[in-house]
Amino acid sequence: MPELPQKKVGIIACSGEEIPEGLVSRLAALKVLEKQRPGDTVTICLPLFLAGGEGDRAFAKFYPTIAIDGCEKRCAYRGTEKYSNTPAASIVITDLIKENGLEAPKGLRRLNEAGQQAVDLAAAQIAEQVDKLLGKKWSRKDGQFNEPEPQEEVVATCSCGSGIPIQKLQVNGSEMTLVALPLIFEKFRAENKMPGEDVTREMMEMVKVYNFIKSSQEEELLSAVGKEYERYCEKQEDKA
Amino acid sequence: MTGPKKVLIVPCSGIGKSYGTVSREAAYQVVEDDRPGQTRIVPLALLVMDDEETRQLLKENQAITIDGCKLACATKMVAESGGEVAKDFAVLDVFRRNRDFKPSGIAELNEGGKKLADALAKEIDAEVDNLIQKGGQDA
Repeated sequence: MPELPQKKVGIIACSGEEIPEGLVSRLAALKVLEKQRPGDTVTICLPLFLAGGEGDRAFAKFYPTIAIDGCEKRCAYRGTEKYSNTPAASIVITDLIKENGLEAPKGLRRLNEAGQQAVDLAAAQIAEQVDKLLGKKWSRKDGQFNEPEPQEEVVATCSCGSGIPIQKLQVNGSEMTLVALPLIFEKFRAENKMPGEDVTREMMEMVKVYNFIKSSQEEELLSAVGKEYERYCEKQEDKA
Repeated sequence: MTGPKKVLIVPCSGIGKSYGTVSREAAYQVVEDDRPGQTRIVPLALLVMDDEETRQLLKENQAITIDGCKLACATKMVAESGGEVAKDFAVLDVFRRNRDFKPSGIAELNEGGKKLADALAKEIDAEVDNLIQKGGQDA
């Protein structure tokens, strides 16, 4: 049965190719994504906030995010904040090196020993931040924390380039973008919940978990979501 | 037309797929090994933040972009920053021409990925030479 995306932490590295600290940021992020917390973390390319779609720009609202920056320009933090949502945590590699008395890393393609030490240290700090963030309740509607709750284990996923599934609906003559609607449709259909008012109202409760819906919009949106779900189910039947 | 002072190489900055690593590895090979005096790497993150110095660089020099996926962030970002994309490379296209070099790995590329990066770098080298030559003739 399809499942809506579970809670994970987003990691965004500056990836700065001009400086060794950029390589440190990239390798530290990868170490956490691939080895240390593969089931709990996802990533996205920073440029996708501009070059991608609305689903990509929803990333840091959907996931509490850690920005990993190579230098004080803090492109990952500021870019995420500007185009998606304020990161929940931030690590700057130059600061980390200074605070821990490490030697400056060298190498743009292959790091020296000091660079490897910085990667290990940064990865440990990122993993620690991931654990802290998973211990708090994140509101995908508001893009901020609510209250603490225990975290379940989830399946590893890379979100780079894929973004969050969205769907656009015409509501009272205006276009409205709803985060996660395709997955909600998929889930309801898999549960054999056929179109109807009760099902649509139940669906709306889930839609509201992922989207901010003004109360004045709710009834019109309910109708639009119901019709769209009918179309979705018809298409699925045609395919079958 | 003024010839390029340096050719800017703008690779994909993706860390979620092997193709991103291939694009970066090829860019480094061109900038550090093959054409060190004629090229310079430009990080996409600086374009995302509309960095003034980087925008100026793009105004004064031609750029070669390398995209790791169909979303073409590098090419789009250079164009949006007012730069001139002299040539855009897509790693996937280079792979289609070199199907024996199947890349895997992100932090560390496999042998196929390294060979693909080398093949891509050689195509970029040729384009750099072409741009430099054209610039010299036009100057």
